[in-house]
Amino acid sequence: MSLFERVRSTIATTLKVPEHRITESTVHEDLPAWDSLGQVNLVMALEQTFDLMIEVEDFEQIKSVPAILAYLDQQGVR
Amino acid sequence: MREWNVAFIVLAAMANAKCAFDNLLTHSSRSALQAGLAQWPTDLTLTQAEQLRGRALALEGSPRPLRLAVVHTYTSDLLEPWLAMHAALEGFELQTYHAPYGLTVQEATSSSALLAHRPDLTLLMLRRDDLDPGLSRPFVALPSQQLTALRERSVARLVEITAAFRAHDVGQILVTLLPSLLPASLGQYDAQAEVSEAAWWQATKAALCERLRSELPATSFIDLDDVQAQVGRRAFYDTRYWYSASYPFSAAAAAEFARRVTVVGTLLKTPRAKVLVLDADNTLWGGVVGEDGIDGIALGPEYPGNVFVDFQRRLLAFQQRGLILAMCSKNNPADVEQVLQCHPHQILRDAHFAARRVNWLPKAENLRSLAEELNLGLDSFVFVDDSDHECAAVRHALPQVQVVQVPKRAVDVPACLDRIARLEVLTLTTEDLAKTELYAQERLRRELNDDIGRSGGNQSDYLSRLQMKMRISVDPIAHLARLAQLTQKTNQFNLTTRRYDEQCMRRFIEDRKTLVLDFSLADTFGDSGIVGLAIWRRVDGGCAELDTLLMSCRVIGRMAESAFLAAGLRLLAAEGITQVVADFLPTAKNDLVREFLPQHGFEPDGRGRWTRTLTEIAGDYPIEITLTTGEPVSSTVAA
Repeated sequence: MSLFERVRSTIATTLKVPEHRITESTVHEDLPAWDSLGQVNLVMALEQTFDLMIEVEDFEQIKSVPAILAYLDQQGVR
Repeated sequence: MREWNVAFIVLAAMANAKCAFDNLLTHSSRSALQAGLAQWPTDLTLTQAEQLRGRALALEGSPRPLRLAVVHTYTSDLLEPWLAMHAALEGFELQTYHAPYGLTVQEATSSSALLAHRPDLTLLMLRRDDLDPGLSRPFVALPSQQLTALRERSVARLVEITAAFRAHDVGQILVTLLPSLLPASLGQYDAQAEVSEAAWWQATKAALCERLRSELPATSFIDLDDVQAQVGRRAFYDTRYWYSASYPFSAAAAAEFARRVTVVGTLLKTPRAKVLVLDADNTLWGGVVGEDGIDGIALGPEYPGNVFVDFQRRLLAFQQRGLILAMCSKNNPADVEQVLQCHPHQILRDAHFAARRVNWLPKAENLRSLAEELNLGLDSFVFVDDSDHECAAVRHALPQVQVVQVPKRAVDVPACLDRIARLEVLTLTTEDLAKTELYAQERLRRELNDDIGRSGGNQSDYLSRLQMKMRISVDPIAHLARLAQLTQKTNQFNLTTRRYDEQCMRRFIEDRKTLVLDFSLADTFGDSGIVGLAIWRRVDGGCAELDTLLMSCRVIGRMAESAFLAAGLRLLAAEGITQVVADFLPTAKNDLVREFLPQHGFEPDGRGRWTRTLTEIAGDYPIEITLTTGEPVSSTVAA
């Protein structure tokens, strides 16, 4: 599974939206479930899926699929 | 190269963990899922929680709804997946209403969204400083009267908040207070300090719980301090979420909090567990006594025997909660008997078990006969056994019995019942504390009766061997609460099934026209406590009416009812009464006493009532009777 596919699956499961609604360019405004609470849930899910510890300063930075992919890349997740 | 090795090991460990989790999901019963989870070595991820929830719901078929309302002064929504998972593991589909953020006491009004949700449980997730702003600052320097005032204000505020909800139909209320994130103001000196924050808080919590217990029915305090102690102070909070989103809990804390909330739902919505039925080999001790012998089983101060000693201690703790213990073991009775009587490290002795089945019959059959002997439904049974086969057989034959399999790893054994929701209690009475004792006494009586029967004796030999002593109290104002409770609870041995509250009972006792008698019965095995009540009303012309005659089923079969009736008749005869009138009012449950009046010399009066004259009152019962004054009844009456 590609990195994008794993991110898409995590977002879909956490925010309870169908996978086809999530693309490589989705931002949080596109999905009503991706509100501030959804974001905290998503951060937790990303930490667990990719075995990371995301710093609180980064919580607000990763509110889109491109930002998440860039963040994971920067953390060395392949 | 070395890095590659490390990476490989990490990957392999992750693959193993995933594989183990997938195995967990293959369990075919909810209880097996729960048992697997109890021994799961790491914190679950949210995805895993979601998978477990799905699996549990799929196994249940038609889960029952559990309706939860949450009032919260910090973020509660993120607890939802954990609550839903634990609810599913208990066979519930969770339906949650989260009130708007804040101390929304306005939800405690009849038109609120919270009431419209019709919750089974209302969870109050409060912070300590909701009770008083003074709690958000160090208070160790305050003078003692201000500390007392702070405690009183805090307790009063929480009682006030809780009472506002309790005034409405919000189901069981669960009160929680978030532990402090910060350590004590005085750091590690706190424990020694004259004013210790930790000690102050413990005392405040005790005062608070005392008020909740005595003033607010259907209210439970879930102690998050204990959750914090269990998961660890550092592991309880996730400071990133706390400071950025007002959500305090790590995954470990969230899961344990959610589990404890669900426990209360389970206790409210499933039949009460009353009996723990225990296997013997590899459950009460390690090994098989029939093969290893009394000296070969694992039970004692060394591993693995110490594990089973601890498990037995734990079983005593469950007894304190009001559960009764029974044994069901495939063994030669003499082998088990020898361990119970002679093993130096055996904690549970003969008297701890209300009943035993040690034989080679199928366990389901033994459980049925235990239910009959104890006069308790099988749905109140929790069966504990180490064998895959026995557990599966009982699950299949008796689905109403909850089955707990003893873990394979010895070190997991002592705690294996600690997370069974139905073994928790919401309240505790003195009767609960003594329950096993009463059942054990009853078993000793049955054994004596059987012994006498085998050696050719009869019922009256048995009764005289019991050396029964009946204590009758006349107009006993001190027993008010118990007597009212007896009229409320007694269904079977009850001639008229008239229910009275404490106020009515007080009127009867104080009224000089009414004679209230109660009795307790002691024998060589123990004291029953107050188990019988008669209310006699004196009417004109030397006549009296029997308003109520009832007795707890606990003492049936010992002629106590006859002796008690006769004693009452003598008292009435002594004051000049010559005739009594009584009624039998049949209900669905009191068939037991249909023949009681004719058997005791009463005759139909032709108008639907029963009457007898007070001559020739029988008195030859094998029971020594005293009034509370201490004088034997017979001499009182003769005077």
